[in-house]
Amino acid sequence: MVRTPNLPPRLQREAQRAEDAARAAGLDFFEVVFESVDARDLNAIAAYGGFPRRYASWRFGMDFERLHKGYSYGLSKIYELVINNDPTIAYLVRSNSLMEQKLVMAHVFGHADFFKNNAWFAPTERRMVQTMDAHADRLKRISAEQGQDQVERMLDRALGLEGLIDPYLPLQQTKSGKSVDRVGRARASFEAVMDGRPAPAPVPTHLPGSTLPTYDCLAFLIEFAPLEPWQREVLRIVRDEAYYFMPQRQTKIMNEGWASFWHSRLLTNGLLDGSEIIDFADCHSGATASQPGQLNPYKLGIELFRHAERLGHDIFRLRKIHNDSSFIDELVDEEFALENQLFTYHDNPKGGGPQIASRDWRTVKRELMNSLAWGGQPRIQLREVDAEGALVLVHRHDGRDLVLQEAGQLISQLAHLWGAPVHLLSLDGGQGKRVTAGKAGVSVADCEEAVESCGGSTSPKQRPEQKRRTA
Amino acid sequence: MGYEVYRMEKDRARFRDIVRGRLRGDLKKYLSSTELLGQRAGRTISIPVPQIELPRLRFGNNESEGVGQGPGKEGAPVEGDGQEGDAAGAAGDEPGKHVLEIEVEIEELAEMLAAELELPNIEPRGTKQLLSEGGRYSGLRNQGPRSLRHFRRTFKRALTRTIAEGNWNPADPRVVPIKDDERFRMRRTAPLPESSAVIFHMMDVSGSMGKEQKEIVRIQAFWIDTWLRSQYKNIEVVYIVHDAVAKIVNDEEFFHLRESGGTKISSAYELALELIQTKYRPDQWNIYPFHYSDGDNWSARDTSHCISLLRDELLPRVNQFCYGQVRSAYGSGQFKKDLDKELGGSENLVSAAVDGRDEIADSIRAFLGRGC
Repeated sequence: MVRTPNLPPRLQREAQRAEDAARAAGLDFFEVVFESVDARDLNAIAAYGGFPRRYASWRFGMDFERLHKGYSYGLSKIYELVINNDPTIAYLVRSNSLMEQKLVMAHVFGHADFFKNNAWFAPTERRMVQTMDAHADRLKRISAEQGQDQVERMLDRALGLEGLIDPYLPLQQTKSGKSVDRVGRARASFEAVMDGRPAPAPVPTHLPGSTLPTYDCLAFLIEFAPLEPWQREVLRIVRDEAYYFMPQRQTKIMNEGWASFWHSRLLTNGLLDGSEIIDFADCHSGATASQPGQLNPYKLGIELFRHAERLGHDIFRLRKIHNDSSFIDELVDEEFALENQLFTYHDNPKGGGPQIASRDWRTVKRELMNSLAWGGQPRIQLREVDAEGALVLVHRHDGRDLVLQEAGQLISQLAHLWGAPVHLLSLDGGQGKRVTAGKAGVSVADCEEAVESCGGSTSPKQRPEQKRRTA
Repeated sequence: MGYEVYRMEKDRARFRDIVRGRLRGDLKKYLSSTELLGQRAGRTISIPVPQIELPRLRFGNNESEGVGQGPGKEGAPVEGDGQEGDAAGAAGDEPGKHVLEIEVEIEELAEMLAAELELPNIEPRGTKQLLSEGGRYSGLRNQGPRSLRHFRRTFKRALTRTIAEGNWNPADPRVVPIKDDERFRMRRTAPLPESSAVIFHMMDVSGSMGKEQKEIVRIQAFWIDTWLRSQYKNIEVVYIVHDAVAKIVNDEEFFHLRESGGTKISSAYELALELIQTKYRPDQWNIYPFHYSDGDNWSARDTSHCISLLRDELLPRVNQFCYGQVRSAYGSGQFKKDLDKELGGSENLVSAAVDGRDEIADSIRAFLGRGC
């Protein structure tokens, strides 16, 4: 089913054709709603992460300012915007040509299929439009009670920490069946009360991920930090939204690759008029263009799926079980690296900017996976609360150092929420370091222990441990 | 326009508030840089501000390693910026890499400037007010068009008369105005002071004034204009350049013209005086001449001619005369010394030496700090 509430008849017909073609090709998706908007609206929606409504924050205003300036100066233009939701909602820009609309529609069906079927998206909230709306309402109410400035400060602090979650947690929860059946429990107690029986006592549960050691620092704070109820609520909202967005970071290459693969196939197999082919080729090659030193997720993704198809893989199965890192592990081989002219680069030791370091496909593959693991984020584990009550965070070092000064600012916000000092162990140029934030400010000290905790080896080229829980 | 945009306006306004706050904090920086110059459009100035970033955990320097795509042998330099695309989700956005432009109204910027430099508001001098015919309906008369009838006054008179005549019946409170009761609004014209000002920017463009010196003048002129624009409703700016002779130019030429040859400061003063006598008469204009040079003059004779021009002709006619001496590699800086010696006691002459960009703020404070 495709719904097209405000589309002109011509586009409604095209949307229907695109849907039929997508279904015939084997794509499977929730209902897709196409909404036609003008460019200014789309910039606003994009600044809100694709949602019609978010909580009040200056950051959305800043993003809008940037997008809108970029658009008015003709520097950037958003073609497509689609959100993971049931129904899947996609926006079409009114000023686009018919060919561009067709391209966007076919592309959207690719994303819609990916959202519905990829394992990493399975645990995500599918009624996120309503959830975002509810979050906005809650924060509005909290602001009214606590004062806007206070809530804004708290929100900014919490948002700095949004990377401190465990990308693997939601999937583990689903697999182990541990996720709490809230609806079922609510229904049971409702029925009990209606029947005149005493309601079952609420089962005290801690948030999954809040037991030490954990990567889900936010869950731990929500459970154990000395916070006001409203502050917990803010953290909970930030955590929910962070988990919702996390799979998109983990599957950017696959998701864009899959959508590009299908728009290209569907359009050239009947959706396009012969007269539109040249314009399409121009547009498509623009989107998949790559520059040296840059990896374009559209380009890399589409080539990986094409490569997989040539090798006789079941591409539908691949799109179901992988994230970017494991997908590359599965597919990148010598032929692929050669054909796509992949290389690794490093800074020229004599100066003069980066230079090509290696074209060895194993090296390329290892570096690529390394940079994509953990959603491309630093991997930070909350190890323990030490004897003095301070939090100890450990950066699982994968060869890339952190900007310690900025990390110090971040953990000082964490210390503020925790109400006691916070230590972060990391490596810097192979040296063990301990960053400490507390009442006295931020300090960095050498730390022998960190060398072992953070990686065991100081070699910057250490191979990261592989997470293959999906396979 | 959809509802998203309206909702967005709040977030946008909040962001702009935060930016203004930062701008206030960083005004010193803007006072010595050319960032804002040439950004003026009508009554607003667009200010480049770095995107505000929340602190995040980010990979640092040794991340200039990565994976790329393209031709080239091992060891060949990688073209492009050497950053990974967002493919790997790890491109390091350094703070300040993204720059946004925010529009701020001139009044607002001037108000920040005033707060930073503790500038007093200017009180236009009584005799320098240009009178214009302003009018308000503040009077009353007993004849006039229906549309201007003053209902309350008319009713009040009619009521008074009714009671006086003994016709007032509280049970049937009817009041019928007659022609004699009617009052009408009348337009009263009052002379309204309207403040107009003219700024003369005069600059020495002889060979010894280099690029940096001119940049400093540009920055000074920008802030002076911004301030005076916020103080006067009507501002005209005249740009005069001089070497051995003076001429009127537009702002573009003013900041970029480069002449060689000697320096005869009196030529500029004479030209300004001529304009004041013909076009910008002191009884109608607040006059602010600014003169920038590196302090070299052709001859001591010309300097003494300048001083007598200032003392006898210019200073009595202007609100304030400002001389900014920019240090250059060749300039002797003699002119400021002579000026201070001869006219140091004058109330409306300010001279300031600017040795570098850091001193721009001080010189602006000296120029504008007197409030006249």
